[in-house]
This record gives sequence, C-alpha cells and structure tokens, in this order.
Amino acid sequence: MNKALDELFVYPKELVDEESKRVIHLVRQWADKEIISKRQEYRENYEKLFIETRKSLNLTIGLQRLTLPEEHGGFGWNNPANAPGIASILTEIGRADAAIGVAAAVKYTILAAITMAPNFDKALCDALAPVYCGEELKTFSLILPGMGNIGQDTPLFLGRSILASVEAESDGYVVNGKDLRPINSGAIADLFCVVCADKADKPCIALVPGDNANVVRGKTLLETGLNASSNADVSFNNVKIPKSYVISRQGVVEELYTWLNLLLGGVSVGTGMNFFEMVGDWSETRTIKGGYMMKENPLCASVLADVADEVFTSRLFLYDLAQTISKPNDWGQSGSQRVYTIAQVIGSKIQQNVMRAINRGLELMGSAGYSKEWHVEKHWRDIKTIQSYLCGVGAEAPVKMDTARFFFDCKDI
Amino acid sequence: MKNFDEFSKPEEYISPMDKHIRSVIRNWADKEVMPYRRKYDEDWKDHHIIEPAFDKLMGNSGIGLQKALFPPELGGWGIGQSDSAFTISCALAEEVGRADTAMAVAFMVTYWPLTTILVEPHVNWRLAKEFAPMFCNAEKAVFAANAMTEPQGGADIENLELTGGKTIRTVARLEGDEWVINGHKLWPTNSGGVAKLFVVPCTTKPGSTDLKDFAMIFVPAETKGVTQGGPYEKAGMAADKNSDIWFEDVRVPSWYRAHGPSMDAQIFREIIPWGLAASMGFMCGAMLNLYEILYDFVSTKTYKNKPLKEDDHIASIIGRIAGDIDICRILSYEAAKMGDRRNKPYGYPIYSDEVACKMRNLKDFVSDRAVDIFGKAMDVLGPYGADREYDIEKHWRDIKIIQLWMGGKQLCQMEAARYFFNCKTL
Repeated sequence: MNKALDELFVYPKELVDEESKRVIHLVRQWADKEIISKRQEYRENYEKLFIETRKSLNLTIGLQRLTLPEEHGGFGWNNPANAPGIASILTEIGRADAAIGVAAAVKYTILAAITMAPNFDKALCDALAPVYCGEELKTFSLILPGMGNIGQDTPLFLGRSILASVEAESDGYVVNGKDLRPINSGAIADLFCVVCADKADKPCIALVPGDNANVVRGKTLLETGLNASSNADVSFNNVKIPKSYVISRQGVVEELYTWLNLLLGGVSVGTGMNFFEMVGDWSETRTIKGGYMMKENPLCASVLADVADEVFTSRLFLYDLAQTISKPNDWGQSGSQRVYTIAQVIGSKIQQNVMRAINRGLELMGSAGYSKEWHVEKHWRDIKTIQSYLCGVGAEAPVKMDTARFFFDCKDI
Repeated sequence: MKNFDEFSKPEEYISPMDKHIRSVIRNWADKEVMPYRRKYDEDWKDHHIIEPAFDKLMGNSGIGLQKALFPPELGGWGIGQSDSAFTISCALAEEVGRADTAMAVAFMVTYWPLTTILVEPHVNWRLAKEFAPMFCNAEKAVFAANAMTEPQGGADIENLELTGGKTIRTVARLEGDEWVINGHKLWPTNSGGVAKLFVVPCTTKPGSTDLKDFAMIFVPAETKGVTQGGPYEKAGMAADKNSDIWFEDVRVPSWYRAHGPSMDAQIFREIIPWGLAASMGFMCGAMLNLYEILYDFVSTKTYKNKPLKEDDHIASIIGRIAGDIDICRILSYEAAKMGDRRNKPYGYPIYSDEVACKMRNLKDFVSDRAVDIFGKAMDVLGPYGADREYDIEKHWRDIKIIQLWMGGKQLCQMEAARYFFNCKTL
C-alpha cells in the first residue's frame, strides 16, 4: 500500500485541532509498533500482550486519563468539542485491536456521563478519578437495558427491559439485578456502570465498584470475538453505593447510547481500515487465472472497491456523528432525542458497513482469510461481536423504533 | 410449525432410505455431538473429543457410514450405484451438519474422491476392490481427501474451463508401471494427518492446456514421500483439519490413476457438483439447527415485556429467516435431484456446463442466504448472539468457509455468466 491511510479515507481534518492530532499520532505509533508490526507474536501471546499493550496505551501514554479535566490530571478532553478527537483515538486503537478499543470506548462512554461539559460532576470526579484513572490500569464495564425474560414485567427504557434497580436507603442507594449481561469485561471490571430503574421506574445510571462483596460474577463467557475483554454475567445483590454514584438527570441513559455508538463506531472504522490494509496487500501478492495480479482482475477489483467504499463511507459517517455531538448549540445535547437517534442510526450503519467490507474482502482471501495466520478472521469475529452487542434486542428493534419515533412522531411503538 | 422437519423438501425426490438414515444419524447427533460441540473449538488440534464421535458415525463400531458408497459385493451399502445417491448425500450432509458442519464436511469429503471410482456410470472396479477393505473393514473412522488447491493459484485449479490445467504445478510422471508425483497442495479437508487416502489432481505435462494431460491419481497417505503439515488454526470448523501436503517423488502403481486421459478431466468436473450439493446440505443442516435455537430464544426472551416473536418488527425478521431456510432447503434438494437425473433421458451429465453452472448458482445463493441469516440471527440474539452457549455463533463461524471454498462466490458468478451469456474470455 503506497498511499497513507488518511489520504485515502479522508475526513474533515478541521474537526481535530493540532494538539489532538499529536495525541492521535502517538496512538498510531503505538498501534504500529506494539501490535500491527508484530501480529504473529501478538496472536501467539495474546493474553499476556493484551494486558501489556493496554497498559502501555493507558498508563505510559496516559489515555486512561484522556477525558478527565486537566485539574484532575487528565488531558482535558471533556468537552463535546473533543468528540472528533476521541473518535479518532478509538479509530487508531481499533486498527490495532478491537478488544482494546472496546475497553477504551466503554470507559470513555461512562466517563462522558460524569466529566463531559455541561454536566461535569466535580464531586463524583473527585471521588472516582484517583481510584479509577490513576497509576493502575482499571477496567470499566457497561450494562445497558435490553431483553427481558418471559414472565417478567420490567420497567422499560424506550422498549428495552431495565433489569436492575436502585432504591434509596439512608445516605445512599442499594442496587439489585440478577444475571445482567454487560457489553464487556464483566469478569474483571473494576467499576460497573449499570442502567437501573428507580422506585418510580424512571431510568438512571448507577456506578458500582467491582470490589464490593455483593457483586457476583458468573463464569467468563466464551464469545465469537473480543474474548480478551473477559466478559461475564453479573448479579448485584443489595449492593450499597454512595448517593453520588447514582446519576438520574434527564437524558443520561441516552447520553450513554450516543457516546457508545460514536466510540464503538470509531473502533470498527479503525478495524475496517486495518482490514483494508491487509486485503490490499493480499490482492497485490496473489495471482489468478494463471498469472494476473488479483487486483487487476475487474471482478476482484469490484470486490476491493466494495471494501474501500464501505470503510470510506463509514469514516465519513463517524465524523458526521462526531461533529453533531461536538456542536450542542446547533443540534442539542448528547442526551437529546435528536442526537441520540442520529447516533444510533449512524452507529448501526457503521457496524453494518464494516461488517460488509470484511465479508466482501474475505471472499477474495478465501481460505487464507479464514485462517488465524492471516489475522483478518479476528477482525471479522470482533466486529460481529460488537455489532451483536449494539443491536441490543431483536436485531436492532429498539433502534428502528427510536428512529421511527423521531422521524415520524410515532407515539405508541 | 414446531418441528424443523416441516421445512419443505420435495417429497417425491426423497429416497426410500431417507427416514431411516435420518433417524439413525439424528440419534447419533443428539447423543454424541450436541452435548459436546461447544468444546470442539479447543479440541481443533488433537481431536480428543471429536474423534470418538467420528468413530461412531463412520466406523463399523458405530453406524458405519464410511462404507456406504461401496458396492454391496465389496462390503458397502451400494449408495454409489443408487439412483438417489445425490439426494441421500444431501440428507446425510444435512443431518450431520445440523449437529456440526465441520464433522459433516470431514465425513462427506471422505466420499468425495471415492465418487470418482464408485458412482455409476464410472465405477472403477479394480480401484474399488483395492480400497474397499480400508473403509469397509474398519472399526474406526477412516478418512479420504481431495488434495486439490495449490499455493500459487488458489481456486484456479477449479477453473479448468479457462486454464485448461496449465497452472497446475503438481506433476505426475510415468516411470515404468508407476506414477511419480511431485508437488505441494494446501487446505484439503482431512489433511493434517487425518486422511488415509488422497486423490491428487495433477498434470502429466506441466503448462499443458490439453485436458488429456490432466490426471487424478490415488495416493495412500502412508506412501513414502507424502508429508503432511500440522493443522491450520482457523476461525471455526474445528472438526475439519486442513494442512499443507507435500508430494516428493511419491510412487504409486500406474493403475491408481482414476480413469485415464480425458476421462480424468471429465471426472474432475463431475466431482464439483458433488461438492456443491453437499455444501448446500451442510448449510441447510446448520440452518435447521438455527431454527431450533432461535425458536426457543424468541419464545422466552422479551421486548416491551412481550415475547420477541410477538413483536411485529422482530416477527418480520424471524419470519424472513424461516422463509429463507425453507427456500434454501427446496433449492438444495433441487440441486441434489439435478445430480440424480444424470443417468435419466431428461437429465444432464454432471460434467455438463448446464449442471456445473446451475449447481454453482444454487450453492452461491444458498451460501449467501445462510451467511446472511446467521448474521441476522446473531443480531436477533443481541448480547447473546456472540455467546457460545447459544451455538448460533459457532454455525456462523463454521459456514463462512463454505461460502468461500470451491472457487468461492466469484467463480460461481463467472460460471453463470459463461453459461447464460455465452461469454468466451472470462
């Protein structure tokens, strides 16, 4: 591949300031040096290197503190205007390893509810930042509402069952919830962010420290992809948390969805870009029909074009969403119905596009694409896992309903 | 609809053996595979768990299916001489594929090279007698393999119409009454130390486009000069081992060539429809299992406090999934029947362009639908879609390679264009 990725997959560079570009460049260097240039070694020692590379990213470069305000020792990327920069960071991480990307995306999503202007909660940040964004690597886990079980009558968040509850008790809250399925890292999380219903069935979010004795984790799940993130079902059995650990402002759950769609979109775009690099190399080194370079065959070229097309448009969508989030005065806050809906529409589209790009590219790579040796199959599994999680319920049923509700003013769906 | 047996298959196409065979295999699948298949991914290299299940399916200690193609007088069941050989194969592929697609592949690929010498009208009795004891007298599973793909050209070897075999680099040289074979093959199912017998598509004259120079030669795996690499680690298909194979001055008797000049090229064209029909069977089996799992899931999980299946939007998705399964199954049996019509006055030889093109079309369509509906089903399951406990993701990983193999989607499209539009240069 002779051309630089950013010259091919263009994006509105003016959305990212020069300081942010330097951080993004650092992360690209990390990705190239620690993972992409040594894929084989990384694959063979995955469990060990997954932790080491996460540490170098989060502690040495310091990305664990990316979205903390400067006065809390962070980079100060805690303003919606930073959305394009944060999405860019996730793209660079996703290009290296989607599982590391998902862990980062979830962490920034949860922190966005705490640190992002105009809802910066100083007291909560004072309490959490030293513990969860300090000198040790800490993992966050997010539990969203989703499917219910037959026979249950649960409170709902826009159709999705809220399976956890909070109840006020003296000077704090008590959290309950059984066999909840997080997006990530249930087996190892240091801090959970769980969408709960309060006594009036109103949705809110609760932050639950993972070291509480009443947090019960199930066995680590084996999943299609992202296995390094060590997910597991979690139960909260009368877990007591401080009052400040519950955030119940209007639109806070929508904010989570907005940021999660942006940031997981960033991860998947990055993975798609790396897949593009791999399939590009493949198409230049393979011959078909007895000697023609694969990419020079019109049929193969059309498949390659599909790969490029899907990744290219996904990146544009990503920055469209980032720009929308970055301008609350124009489009509303991240928890507004408009931005929340747009985030879901674009988030879903990005996952579909990248999935299609990889599926198409695999058609050209054939068996090699299926073999772990060539690394692309990991991208394929990881993206499908992200997509399935983001679908939530019934193949995006809630996303479709949210979209129809916003665009057509549906009242009863 | 409560039972996956109710998905359509043209009843008039079904062989009299269908019900019995299905019942026996389903019993095996439910007992020997379904309870253990989630552990197969970790068993990809050693097959400690997988191998005993194969023995009970294929060996004489179990059902003994590995001998099914051989004539009864050689100890087999005579399916190779049956008018329903393709249809029975489709049912076998489906039933085993329902439990585990990779097992279905490994098992059915054992038949694949043997079809060249055991299926009417091309029975090679001398070779059939030679290899019958290997398969018919074995208590444990015995596998065969078709060592086709080569490193430099991928699926080029399957594009014999265009290349005429000129890209083949595995060479067989006749020395006295022996073939001496040299070459390197990749990816055959049942390589990696599994197969006891290979058929090796090769050329007797490197660079030649004369199909008389194309040969298919049987090579027992223990023959001196045959070296197999370790199995590849893959995204799925753990029960199917694949590796590199090197043939270095490998000597076999001259009569181990399947049928001889010209006929070998025709036979090679004939094995393609077998592979395509079986591929459709594998995918239909997996899809039937998808239906079973999905039925349970959408009946017990809720959206807006109602079962998923009772939500109009979700119902439209699962309805489409079920509809696609139904259509794919009908198409698969139509493909099988196309093969079974090969000896009928109204049928076409399975080496014909007609059959090659139409079977590739059907396989391409069924593959696309299967890949799509498995992806969609994982989305229906949402956070549980990627969870191994639900098995759908295993099928999703497994079936992807079926879409990619045998020349993949693009070769299917080229065959269709050549046939329907008389393209001359593709």
